[in-house]
Amino acid sequence: MAETILRVKQLSRSFSGIKALDNVQLDLKKGEVHALMGENGAGKSTFMKILIGLLAADSGEIIFEGSHLENSNVSDTLKKGISMIHQEMLVIPELTVAQNIFLGREKEVTRKSGWPSLWLDDSEINRKAAELLKQMGVSIDPEARMKFLSVAQMQMVEIAKAISNNAKVIIMDEPTSAISDREVATLFGIIRELKAREVSIIYISHKMDEIFEISDTITVLRDGKYIATKAASELDNNSLIAMMVGREISQMFPENAGNHGEVVLSVQNLSSKGKFSDIHFQVRSGEILGLAGLMGAGRTEIARAIFGLDPLEKGEIKIRDQNVRIQSPQDAISKGIGYVSEDRKGLGFIPDMSVSDNIILSSLRQHRKGIFIDEKGKELTVNRIINELRIKTSGTDQKAVQLSGGNQQKVVIGKVLLASPEIVILDEPTRGVDVGAKVEIYKLIRNLSEKGIAIIMISSELPEILGMSDRILVLSKGRQTAVLSGKEATQEMIMKYAVA
Amino acid sequence: MIIGTQVSINALLAFGVTFVIITGGIDLSLGSMVAVTGVVAATFAHPDTYPLAVPLLAGLGAGLLFGAFNGFVVTKSKVPPFIVTLGTMTIGRGLALILSKGRPVSNLSDPFNFIGGGNVFGIPFPIIILIIAFLVCSVILNKTILGRYMYAVGGNEPAARASGIGVNRVKMWVYTICGILSALGGILLTSRITTGQPNAGAGFELDAIAAAIIGGTSTSGGTGTMTGTLIGALLIGVISNSLDLLNVTSYYQQVVMGVIIIGAVVLDSAGKKERG
Amino acid sequence: MGMKFNAVYAVFIAGVILLGCNQSGGSESGGENAGKKLVIGATMLSMQNEFIVNVSDEMESRAKALDVELITVDAERSALKQVEQVESFIAQGVDAIIMNPCEVEASSPAVKLAMNAKIPIINVNSETSAKPTAFVGSDDTESARIAMKYIAEKLGGKGNVLIMHGFMGQAAQLKRDAGAKEVLKANPGLKLLAEQSGEWDRAKAMSLTENWIQSYGNQINAIFAHNDEMGMGAVKALEAAGLKNKVIVISVDAIPDALQAVKKGTLDATIYQNAAQQGGTAIETAIKAAKKEAFKKEVLIPFQLVTKENVGEFLKQ
Repeated sequence: MAETILRVKQLSRSFSGIKALDNVQLDLKKGEVHALMGENGAGKSTFMKILIGLLAADSGEIIFEGSHLENSNVSDTLKKGISMIHQEMLVIPELTVAQNIFLGREKEVTRKSGWPSLWLDDSEINRKAAELLKQMGVSIDPEARMKFLSVAQMQMVEIAKAISNNAKVIIMDEPTSAISDREVATLFGIIRELKAREVSIIYISHKMDEIFEISDTITVLRDGKYIATKAASELDNNSLIAMMVGREISQMFPENAGNHGEVVLSVQNLSSKGKFSDIHFQVRSGEILGLAGLMGAGRTEIARAIFGLDPLEKGEIKIRDQNVRIQSPQDAISKGIGYVSEDRKGLGFIPDMSVSDNIILSSLRQHRKGIFIDEKGKELTVNRIINELRIKTSGTDQKAVQLSGGNQQKVVIGKVLLASPEIVILDEPTRGVDVGAKVEIYKLIRNLSEKGIAIIMISSELPEILGMSDRILVLSKGRQTAVLSGKEATQEMIMKYAVA
Repeated sequence: MIIGTQVSINALLAFGVTFVIITGGIDLSLGSMVAVTGVVAATFAHPDTYPLAVPLLAGLGAGLLFGAFNGFVVTKSKVPPFIVTLGTMTIGRGLALILSKGRPVSNLSDPFNFIGGGNVFGIPFPIIILIIAFLVCSVILNKTILGRYMYAVGGNEPAARASGIGVNRVKMWVYTICGILSALGGILLTSRITTGQPNAGAGFELDAIAAAIIGGTSTSGGTGTMTGTLIGALLIGVISNSLDLLNVTSYYQQVVMGVIIIGAVVLDSAGKKERG
Repeated sequence: MGMKFNAVYAVFIAGVILLGCNQSGGSESGGENAGKKLVIGATMLSMQNEFIVNVSDEMESRAKALDVELITVDAERSALKQVEQVESFIAQGVDAIIMNPCEVEASSPAVKLAMNAKIPIINVNSETSAKPTAFVGSDDTESARIAMKYIAEKLGGKGNVLIMHGFMGQAAQLKRDAGAKEVLKANPGLKLLAEQSGEWDRAKAMSLTENWIQSYGNQINAIFAHNDEMGMGAVKALEAAGLKNKVIVISVDAIPDALQAVKKGTLDATIYQNAAQQGGTAIETAIKAAKKEAFKKEVLIPFQLVTKENVGEFLKQ
């Protein structure tokens, strides 16, 4: 067995009396990929913030390479060799790749090349960055401005920065949440390379298949408590979920009764330059149509165009045999289309508004007296939705931003439902949502389809697509490559068409 | 009472700009709108010419048009409101000078001068206007669909659009309302100094924005209340009045005012951190 | 929400406490004044204008010498602010008010308010259309007459003249314009090439003069600027164009900068307006009016032409 590089014992931390971390432990070996699992709110991010010195612990020990890490701040831990790749990419967009990599360490580079220490030796910085990126096997121009990079490329730059910092432990927080499958493959290649160099990785992700593919060891936290550490080979999907949720989930996906009515939505020849072309499909009432494909295949773009968020180059949209022109979300909503965006924070809800105001937002006109808001009627409706969707909130006045991801998603779904849609487009409905809440959202989607609503569901999680869809439309590079029956489709079939 | 009268103009403008800031915009043309609407109203307010309603409607109409123009350019051009209203600020100043031919418009009728200088039941008329405007603005913001949409647009514009809200219409409304409130301020000012001054109102926009910010309106949009803004305006009035009477040199007054603006925002964000 | 309001209230309370302090201070002086010390409130056009600051400084030192309390506030060029400041003085119960008006018309309500409250109000330096208790200042028309006559004399009654106005519509601008036009009429040989506002500002005046040089070049014989700031701007632009020794420049106020320029010969002449005498007389008049003693309703402090010959005596002052 490899030697331990980082050991954490009995770490605790409270926020205003509530224990966010309660006696947590961790044993990280040299050169291992150690997955840290747990639902949102399990304490993973508090744990990581303490590790990198962003937060102080109330009690407990952190032993790094045999010595105690105490009262350290971020720059201390960085120097000692602990780096974190943040989910929200803490980079300076206007600076170049090389400048970002050596940010804060310009003097070191300059001193080594013998210049007076106030001098900025950009050519040396560029040379070193190029060398580093080449070593990693990624082709990124070190002189490109950061803002022109894709999320995956930024991640590579962040990793390069960690390597140049001589990081011995790299923490990756949901590194694959916004990158394509191909980019994931590159990332995993680099992670394996790092392993070979005895760098240890703490890997946080919600994606089960990834965890089993890349990690050696898995530690599970739940409600701020340490649950267990096991070798990845000892676990499977179900046993891991059970550890995270604290109970057995017998069935992820609810039964499908399969009662479909007439065609509600049909699109013909839908095209938008540079995004997708020649898309045609129909959805019946009570049917769930899954849209599958890799990142960038054009799934979200199609949804946005149907909902009037982006202009359509050409093509026909029919709702119940009527040709419709949709130029704005306002049009779409009035014609019975609802859209639950993948970008929950950006397009889904208004963070500083109350739960109640968010739920009612699209149907405020139905709750009015003249120009005034009918407060009583509004509260009645909101309470009905909160009960129906089982939204967990401390009250209708609570700000939406304070809810958990799953409950935020339910608020958005509630808002869309209140506008009484016939067609609902769900774009990554369970992204960033806990396993427990996922199951509830699946039930909710099934309920909607049983009430006769036509549903289009976009998802990057193949089990979800397979578990929920009646039919699956597969897209590749903006073209539709197959329509599969939900019962017959397999992950392999979808992947085959997705890369076609 | 004096303070009430003295803050009335700034408070009216601050109410207007609070609407705009809540939607995530800004209006720098307030001061110029005060000048334009004041000159327009004064032009029709000479004794024995038109009934009182004419100068009032002319002034308010000018404010409405000016505000609507701001809203139109902001929604149609995609140019940031800061730039648009910086432009219309200068345009407005020029218009005021053109309309008045660079000369103050004086010799105004007694009924017109009553608006800024008269008392009703012992209460100065500007205070009555202030109270009515406050109530109307509070109701618009808290009780109407338009008000709720303002918070939504400022809180997250793309989400508001995706929720089916006519974002551009909401913006048209707030700039127009802001124009009307500025016109009310312009009329009040003209009446108080019994002259339509083309140079009047310079720098008023900054005091109004300061009142809104001190009152807790976030410059990034989505939050803010009329009560907060009213308190902000009163506070600025009380402080500048006290400093005057305490014989604090005007040089120091500016420093004190700046410290208060920053202090209010710092306290506010400290509060936010504690909560979040 | 709650937190946010706490912050607002904290600041608000701080403000109210400030006000409270002030009110006790105010009533204290109000109570005493019946017995001994007079309180005079003064509102000045702008404390960023050197001439006004000079007037104000003299008021301050004279008030100290005569043992009266002087409260000076800055109207920052806003007539509205000025009216409000006078309102506050009235509410505070001062014994007399000195106003250095921002505008002829728009500052008039302040005069009326004070007169209605039976508090003497003395206008200093410039006028309002409403008649105050007394006026202390100089006749601006006279300053322009002196300036234009100087130009007429230097050019032998023949030549092309440019006039640079102050802020349009202000008393000083209107009167200086009237005086200048009067002299122009009397001297048909003088031709007015152009007139524009330099808004009392040196930088604006400089670019205005640059434009004039482009349009008229060698035709320009003389420039009359309504104040020294603008006069200095004109001199700079002319020097840069190498035209200074061909063009006569005269302006009004005799600020130290201008006096230095007259001494060097770059500015041909300036008109001395006696800030100290205006400020001092204003305080004296205010005290007399407050004590109900006899005083002059109008004190006109004469202007003096300052040229290279006599600049020495003004530099000493």
